[in-house]
Formats: sequence, structure tokens, C-alpha cells
Amino acid sequence: MTTSYELDVNGVTYPVTADQGKNLLSVIRENVGLTGTKEGCDDCECGACMVLLDGQPVNSCSYLAVQAQGRQVTTIEGVMEGPEMHALQRNLLEAGGVQCGFCTPGMIMSAKALLERDEHPELDAVRIGLSGNLCRCTGYAKILAAVEATAVELNT
Amino acid sequence: MAIAEVPRFVRADGPDKVTGSGRYAADINLTGQLVAKFRYAGVSHARITKLDTSAASAMPGVFAVLTAADVPDVIYSPVVPDRRLFAKDVVRFEGELVAAVAAVDAATAQAAVDAIVVEYEDLPIVDDLEAAMADGSPLVHQDWESYAVTGDTVQRPNVASFSSIEKGDVDTAMASADHVVTSRYVADGCHALPIEPRAVVAQWEGEKVTIWTSTQVPFDARAGVCETLQMPASKVRVIVPHLGGGFGGKCGFHFEAHVAALAKAARRPVKLVFSRQEEMVAPDRRREGMIVDITSGVKADGTLVARTGWIAIDNGAYTADAAFFPQLAAMHVAGPYAMEAVKVEASLVYTNHQPSGSVRAPTAPQACWALESHTDELAAVVGMDPVEFRRANIVDEGVEGAAGQVYGEIGLRRCLDAAVGASAYGDDLPDDEAVGVAISWWPSFPGPSGAYIKIDSDGSGMIITGAQECGTGSVMTLRMLAAKELGMEPEDFQLVYQDTSAAPYDTGATGSQTLLNNGRAVVEGAREVAAQLRDLAADQLEAAPDDIVLASGKAHVSGSPDKAVSIVELAGIAAEGEMLIGKGSGTPPEYPSVSAMCVGDQGLAGWAGPQFACHAVHVRLDRETGVVRVLDVSAAHDSGTIINPVAAHGQVEGGIMMGVGQALTEGTQYGDDAKQRNTGLLEYKLQTAADAPTIRTEFIEIPDPNAGPYGAKGLAEAPNVPTAAAIANGVAKLVGTPVRQLPMTAERVWMTSEGMSS
Ligand code: FES
Ligand code: FES
Repeated sequence: MTTSYELDVNGVTYPVTADQGKNLLSVIRENVGLTGTKEGCDDCECGACMVLLDGQPVNSCSYLAVQAQGRQVTTIEGVMEGPEMHALQRNLLEAGGVQCGFCTPGMIMSAKALLERDEHPELDAVRIGLSGNLCRCTGYAKILAAVEATAVELNT
Repeated sequence: MAIAEVPRFVRADGPDKVTGSGRYAADINLTGQLVAKFRYAGVSHARITKLDTSAASAMPGVFAVLTAADVPDVIYSPVVPDRRLFAKDVVRFEGELVAAVAAVDAATAQAAVDAIVVEYEDLPIVDDLEAAMADGSPLVHQDWESYAVTGDTVQRPNVASFSSIEKGDVDTAMASADHVVTSRYVADGCHALPIEPRAVVAQWEGEKVTIWTSTQVPFDARAGVCETLQMPASKVRVIVPHLGGGFGGKCGFHFEAHVAALAKAARRPVKLVFSRQEEMVAPDRRREGMIVDITSGVKADGTLVARTGWIAIDNGAYTADAAFFPQLAAMHVAGPYAMEAVKVEASLVYTNHQPSGSVRAPTAPQACWALESHTDELAAVVGMDPVEFRRANIVDEGVEGAAGQVYGEIGLRRCLDAAVGASAYGDDLPDDEAVGVAISWWPSFPGPSGAYIKIDSDGSGMIITGAQECGTGSVMTLRMLAAKELGMEPEDFQLVYQDTSAAPYDTGATGSQTLLNNGRAVVEGAREVAAQLRDLAADQLEAAPDDIVLASGKAHVSGSPDKAVSIVELAGIAAEGEMLIGKGSGTPPEYPSVSAMCVGDQGLAGWAGPQFACHAVHVRLDRETGVVRVLDVSAAHDSGTIINPVAAHGQVEGGIMMGVGQALTEGTQYGDDAKQRNTGLLEYKLQTAADAPTIRTEFIEIPDPNAGPYGAKGLAEAPNVPTAAAIANGVAKLVGTPVRQLPMTAERVWMTSEGMSS
């Protein structure tokens, strides 16, 4: 059944008319029109679809869009700070933590949430914080290094 | 080395990828676009007795329904053409396409797919490699003898391609051995599993079709469309937006023609996006399962004298690009060892499984795992340390390898020393920890490739290349090569790539070949522009062109850095007359000749730019559960000169992690119906950040004169080869005997340690 509601994505309110069973990922990609959030499995297993809901990381493929009403949705397109890249984005590039880039938006969302709840995470905490995001390209080493570098940069 | 003065990683596509603005194929949407869905066989071997699409075609919102009857009757695939776009009469694996639908939305398309009536009469399932090769086995392809195979390909009933490597008199040499060891190792198939499921969008304008697709090989994809839809190349344009990884899984030609045919029939643009499950069942690019029997003879002093091998490779239902697999597998079972006599035979066996095809270093990780596990068994039988045993028997400069190739300066011995030296090998370790060591090799793949280089009126450079970026950074690295030739910065160059109508041919992101071949093309093209710049500067500076040096964005007279003119200024002058445009292709390196006898030769017994590697892997075993954890990996690689160190380290780290997965968790599981049982990421487990070992990498940089620019060889596949083998040798030390199945799952490790066969 189709329903109409409003969704706050990256600080902008979007009117949405969609089937009430439509997941948040599809609404973001198709109704809101932001394609930075990716679908890798539609099964809650890969993390490519990770967005923040009031700052908490959520696999948007497995979350009903209607349930995100009244909450702040942040996608990869909302991570830039004005014209400047967020330190995570910059450090990922500088460390070589981006290859094909398909996991990257989801990875950044998880890392951002992690650094917001733990300013000085131990390496093992970073590993666990990113363990819901699969990357087939990098072997994770340079991603972990970039997140650690970001923690240092943001807190010194 | 020559270029390592520029150590930065110049990833032109990086900002698109970290900000989410980069477009991948699934992000493309066109006005009027329809949704494609496929009807799959759903059974592994059956004759189609009824196929009725009338109900589906009549549904509102359905614009096209296609079956084999609606497309040209073309049997395709390179070397062993054995399949059609849609099944005709017989289906041979569960993911075979029977029909395709284009409809207004996904729900309508799916409803139409479900409304197609297909009835089958079961045919006997062929899923056991040895039984399939036995006399009287049911055949996967009844009319295999009618297929138009090319080259020296040798076929037998249920064997799509057979190869052997034979050198010396193996019986006599084996008889001279003091010890003879025979081993059997069995590897399951597994998946390339790029995180991006593929997508294809096709749109016709008149007689021309443009296809946006997630392929690693745009020119191959174009050739497949041309062949199957019987169109000239001039009417087909393939564009790849950003590609979300491939690892071979997106090599070859897959579904571009199906979507193009749907779009033509529907007279609307059509888009296909695969689910993860489809991605794991339908493409003809699964990594092949394999049985390896090896027998080796050694002298009491540890000298290897002879080896025989028998290899059966699961081809699945169709051959895709796999005809060369037997020869490559045979090379990997012979291995980078010197010995008097070798005889290895390998068969690519048809089954009713998903077809196999090139996944990152096809055949090599499994064959290397078998060989290197066997090598530790050989060392044990003569009472030698496994590393010493390897030092005594590996190929080296001037030494003849198993297939009779004589090597120039190679870094295998230094790789062995470096990786073992950087690891805890030989240290006192807790009794649940061990370090396993494996060595490996892998060819480079010379081939034709082209690029244009131009400098626009504002002095900005552009590289227009047929090369394909699948994430490795190899296309990004082309900017470093052009910049070096022209005395400019990598950032001064834009890239136009992944568009078959814009650029000259390149093989694509396959065979680790981009830098080797397209690098050569870019260097040559940039040199043409450099000569044009020198001529212009010579006029301006009243000097001879040969005395002009291009550096720091300027052309100056040699020895007089002040007598200079900027490249921007020269570009402005050129824009008024003869423009700065170069083209490059160059002559590919030659394949060396070999002395071995090769039946079913596919041209891969002699390797140009052979790469070598050693991994030493520190593992921990939980004896209660059989769970193996990889703690750290010391890797050393000879891939020739390293042009872009950050990207090169990224390839090694990613390759190792893929190897860890293949070693421990990743394997396709089949039911008695020959259908896959684990087609989702919940059941098919990839390694996560929490599992990631510490990785130390050393590059043994020996420039290879018969390879790519500055002596660079390939790189992206080699790191995937020895990891599983090294893990296996660590686990065997802890268990006391090798685990003879891959992946070495906790269950298999535990059963082996309890003396049960798994
Ligand atoms: S697409 Fe949501 S977890 Fe994979
Ligand atoms: S960069 Fe390709 S999946 Fe992570």
C-alpha cells in the first residue's frame, strides 16, 4: 500500500510517496535520489547500504523507510563539511584505503559512528566497529589505518 | 624505481568514491527505462519439454519476453564455443537462462517471469569429476564433437580441454628416487564476489546500441554482443561507469546482449540489476573446484628428481574462458621447482555445476595449495626443514624450470628469504601457534593495447585509454607514467577511459595486465607528445630539439634551466596550429619458448615476466573447535619494478585477505541436485575487518627487461596465490597432518585432527 510521508535526509526534508513496505535504501536511492548509498546484498550482511539514523549506523536495506520518519538520516552525501572533505574521507584517500570504492560509503558511515561514540578507539575496537562492512579489495589494512589516523587527527 | 621518486598515490577517481558522487552501473537511470528479470533453469540437467511465454507476454506492463527462439542461434565463447544466450532444448545448470522479461517495474517483471511455463524431463546429473571422466558416463554436452573449438585444444567425452606438460623420462627419473610420496588434495569451488552486484543498462538509438555495464573487459563485452546479436562493432558502444570490483567475476561477456536484445524488442531502455544470489549463481565465472593427485620422487639428500600429476578441474556446464585452465593448473602443480623429469596431465571436466571462469589467478591458489602442502610432506620424508627443502630445489637464474623455460634474473630465492626472515618462523611459539610457508609463481600476460595522449590549449593533459579500472588503481597509475615522460605532474592529467567508442583497444582489467600493456601504450603515446613539445620548444628557444629537456612543467635547454618556456605556453602555441596529440601501442613483450612437450597447448607453458612470491603465515588453532585464526602474514613479491607503491601494497593486502577466505571459509557447497546450497553472504562467509591479520609486505624489485614500463611485471593476481598454501602448512604443523580439503573449515580441521576423514 502506498503511503506519503516526510523524510529528513542530510538536513533536507523530502516528501516521499512510496509503498509502505519499501526499505530505506530504496527510498534513499529512488525517491530521494541519492545514489551514494550502495546495495551489495539486500541481506544485512555487507554494510554497503550503511546510513546513520540519529547518528547510529543502520543497514538501510533492512530498515523500513517509514520507520525513519521523524529521525535524522545521514548518508554519504551528508558527510562533507561544506566544500571540505571530512577527515575520514581525506585520510581514506591518503592511506590508499579506497580501491573499487563500492564499500567505501558504508565504511565511512560506520567509521563516523564509531568515532562519534569512541574518540580514541583501540585497534581492536576499530576492527569490530567495521566488521559489519565487507571490503573485497583492500584486505582492510589501509582502511583501519585511515580510521586510526582520523581518530588522532580529530582529537589532537 | 625509475619512477618511485613519485611515491604518492594518485587516485583520480578517489574523490568521487569517498563522497558518494561516483556513479556505478546500478546508479544509471534513463527516461522510459524498463526493468529486466531473468527466468533461470532452476534445475541442473533437464530437457525442456514445454516453454510457453504467452501468459507472461500478455500481462499489462510487460514489454518484451525473450527466449532462444527470439535471438540469433549463435553458439559462442572463446576457444570452446559451447553455449547460447538462452537454453535451447537442454538446460545444464541451475543458473542457465531460459527466458528474459522487460517490464515497467520490478514487481511486474518478476510476476511475468513467474508466469512463464517451463516443463522439463530430467536428465542424469553429472557432478562427480572422476565419474564424469569414466567410460560410459552420461554426457553434459551430447554433441560436443560438433563444437568449433580453436587452436590446439584437445577434447574428450565430458572433457572440454585437456593439457599435459611433459619433460624428460619421468619413469626412469622416478625410479632413481630414494623416496616417492603421493598425495591427493581436493579443493571446492568458490566465488570472486565483488561487493558490487553487476548491473547492465542498454539503450538503442536507431541501429546503434549503447550499453552501460559493470564489466572488467569492455571490449570483450562488445565482442560478445556483436557475436551473439550479429552486429558490427561500429554499432555497439560499451561504457563502464565506476566498477565496484571484479576479481575476474566480471571478466568475459555476460548479460550485455540479453539486456540489449530486450531493449530492442521493447523499444525502450532496459536495466538489469543483479541480486547477490543471482551474482553467485548465474555468471560463468566461479572459481573452479579441483582434484589434484601429485607424486614426487626425491633423493635422500633432498634433491627433487621427478614429478607426476593428475588434475581434474570442474568446468561446470559451459567452458566460458576456461580452456587454458588445464595448462595453467599443470604449471602450478609442476611448480617453480627444478627437476629432471615431469609429467602433469590436467582435464577440464564438464559437470552440471555453475560454469567456472577466470577468477583472480585462475587455478593457481588451489593448485599451489596442493603442491605446497605436498612439498612440506616431501621435506618431512627426507627429514629436512621445509624452507631448506625449498631453497635446495627452487628455480633460479639460469636454471631450467619444469616446462623447460630457462629463467633470467628472478627474485624467488630473495622472496623466500625475505618472507621467512620477517616472520616468526623458527621462533619458540605457543603450542597452538605455527608459521607455515609457501612459495608461488604466476605469469604476466603481454597483449595488444592502445592509448591516445593529448595536451589541450590550457596545458592540461588527457589520457584517452581503452584500459579498465576495476579498483586496483592501475588506470590511475597511468597518470604517473605520462607525467614522467612529459615533465608534468600526475594531477595535470585527466583520464577518459572505459568507453569502447572513445579509445583504442585494451584487453581490460584481466590478467593483471593494465600497467604491463597499457602502461607501455601510454609511455609511447606520451613520448610522441614529448617529441612534439621538444620541436616547439626548440623553435622558441633557438636550440636543437634533442637538447630540450621537459621537467617541472617547463621545456628548457639542457644545461641551461633558465632558457625555458612553460608547457602551458607551448600548449597555447600548439593549439593555434599543429596540436599536441600522441598515440601509443607498442610491441608486447614476447612469450619465451619452452622445451617441454605440451599436449593441448594454450600458449601458457612459457611465461613472459614471471612473478614470484613467498608468504609466511602465522596461524593459531583452537584445538577444541578446529577454528584457525590467521595472526599475521609476511609477504615478499617479485613483480618486477613497483611503479605505484601504495597501490601495490593494496593489491598484496587484498589478495592475501581473499586467500585467507579461500583457505578457511569460502567454498561452494552443492546438494545432490548439483545446486548450490550457500548462495548468500550469510551462508558464504567472507573475511571481515575483525579477522584481518597484520600484513608485512616486501617487494623484491628486479626490473624485467621483457615486461612492462621500467621493468614492471603484473601484480594484482599473484598475492592471491600462496596464502592458502602457507596457511595450510601452518595448520598441518599443528594438526600433525595436512588437511586435504579446501577450504580448511573448522569442521574439516577438527575432523582431521581427530583422525577422521572429513
Ligand atoms: S545491502 Fe544492506 S547489508 Fe548488504
Ligand atoms: S574498496 Fe572495493 S570493496 Fe572495498
